[in-house]
Amino acid sequence: MSTTAETAPRSLSRRRMRVDGWRWTGRIFLAFMLLYTAVPMIWMLITSIKSGFAALQFPPQWWPDEPTLASYEKLLDPQNSVGQDFLRFFWNSLFVSTVTTILSVIVAVPAAYAFSRFSFPGRNFLFFAVLLRNMFPAVIFLVPLFILMRLLGLMNTHGSLILTYLTFGLPLAIWLLKGFYDNIPVQLEQAARIDGATRFQAFILIVMPLSTPGIIATAIYSFIGAWNEYIYAYTFLTKNDQLTLPVGIQRFFSENTTDFPGLMAASFMMSVPVVVLFLVLQRYFVRALTEGAVKH
Amino acid sequence: MGRATVTIVTGKAEARQRVQSGRSGVLREIWEHRADYAYVLPAIAVMLVVIAYPIYYTIELSFFKTPPGLQLRDKTFIGFDNYTTILTSEVFWRVTWNTLIWTLGSTLIAFVLGFATALALHREFVGRGVLRAILIIPWVISAVAASYIWKWIYHSDFGIIGAVLVGLGLADRPPNFIDSVNTVLPSLIVVNIWREFPFAMIMMMAGLQTVPEQLLRAAQVDGASAWQRFWHVTFPHLRNVSTVTILLLAVANFNSFIIPWIMTGGGPSNASHIWITHIYELAFGRQRWGVASAYSVLLFLTLMTLGYFYVRALSGNERQEGSA
Repeated sequence: MSTTAETAPRSLSRRRMRVDGWRWTGRIFLAFMLLYTAVPMIWMLITSIKSGFAALQFPPQWWPDEPTLASYEKLLDPQNSVGQDFLRFFWNSLFVSTVTTILSVIVAVPAAYAFSRFSFPGRNFLFFAVLLRNMFPAVIFLVPLFILMRLLGLMNTHGSLILTYLTFGLPLAIWLLKGFYDNIPVQLEQAARIDGATRFQAFILIVMPLSTPGIIATAIYSFIGAWNEYIYAYTFLTKNDQLTLPVGIQRFFSENTTDFPGLMAASFMMSVPVVVLFLVLQRYFVRALTEGAVKH
Repeated sequence: MGRATVTIVTGKAEARQRVQSGRSGVLREIWEHRADYAYVLPAIAVMLVVIAYPIYYTIELSFFKTPPGLQLRDKTFIGFDNYTTILTSEVFWRVTWNTLIWTLGSTLIAFVLGFATALALHREFVGRGVLRAILIIPWVISAVAASYIWKWIYHSDFGIIGAVLVGLGLADRPPNFIDSVNTVLPSLIVVNIWREFPFAMIMMMAGLQTVPEQLLRAAQVDGASAWQRFWHVTFPHLRNVSTVTILLLAVANFNSFIIPWIMTGGGPSNASHIWITHIYELAFGRQRWGVASAYSVLLFLTLMTLGYFYVRALSGNERQEGSA
């Protein structure tokens, strides 16, 4: 007993030292990760406000001698052909992503609800079939879809993209939402039905509002996925006025471009909508993962 | 009205039990649950058109010699020739090796970095929210933008990394990161990890919130060190989330395309070709649809093996959720 009393303060201080050691390791590590994450993005921004000449210097100008917004003006100017293209691609991306998002939610919500609540034959099989979709790369589907889209007359239309994007957003959406519905007590619906609501009304009035964070998370996920998608857009679209941003940008800046400020400005502008959307809504996303997918 | 609903509900439940006890009534059960299918039907319909048909078609095409230009009426049946062509080619083994390094390297490093970041961010401190938001950004921006940003950073004449290395006296001239056979794959993996560690971070942050605080405190009272608490309390709680995260990352990496395609197009001399970029080039570049399809089938089989573990891990999660 007495020995414990004697050694206790010493071991406590040693423990505190060790804890401090961990904390410092954590801080240094975070600083490193911040550098790793932020430096490329900062360099993109700095390059985007350089003139074409200033960008191609060695050693580089760490901060441009004459910062200029010329690259942004060029991209956003509807009078100029680059600006026209850029704005059109931007609009195309926005259209495709928005429609995909709305449709994803409309399709995923009832499916997730059914997987969570009903026990129909084949339920597990169908659920895993849906999840399995995530396993397979775009390339496997590319050739046949290419032919299918030609068959359906959807080549060079945004419809081909929307239809395709729906399927890769759906599995994760359904999985996330199902986790949500699993956690909503069935008794709530039962109570509503005893009060005379139909199953559908109970679903719309009780279950839907409770799963709003899941729906928002699903919507963000679909939107970002569609906004950033490249390989299908690259394959299905050939006409210039149909292109979405990721493919469109590639068309402006050919293989051996030297217009790095323009390229960086375009990369930045392309990232703005999704980054803003995500930062505004990220707490829903994290919450959806916590409550839906990860919960024990 | 209310009473009627209740009787229907209980009646249905009884019927369900009765049917489940005997195995003969599957059809009857399907009929009874016909309304339930309506909820899943839209999802399944989309999936069938865009997934089942393509898979079938790819398998079929892999046994045919196909003319370029996709005039597929002119294809001729050649059995397993496409498969032997692939398995005996040198490029195949090169690309397979690249894919292995790419997938394992990206997945493990991204997971470790993401997990460590989640742990470091777990404790409350000033600016934590801002830091977290900044760290997530690379995951949100498009891989196309990321590829261009890093291509510029790696630029062999004007790249910032080269300039820093020269400035510090570590190199005489800026190194060729992505134009050299030896450094191209690691350089691309760095870009990929940059984009992916935030995903691991989010997943693990979510997981960390489920670790019961009382257990950690109890362990601390019992004199467990920070490491012991992590290893014996935190980590076992995160086993499921970790498995799911690693599998999702592995699948995503195995299937990645954009970064190698935009940054190097698989070059120099196939040093950064992975399966997916190689298949894409075979199909849409060289128009060897049959060979590309056979490749896809091999890919498919590989993924099915991976998928077996994936589904098992996810359904393990399921079971836990159900029992909790």
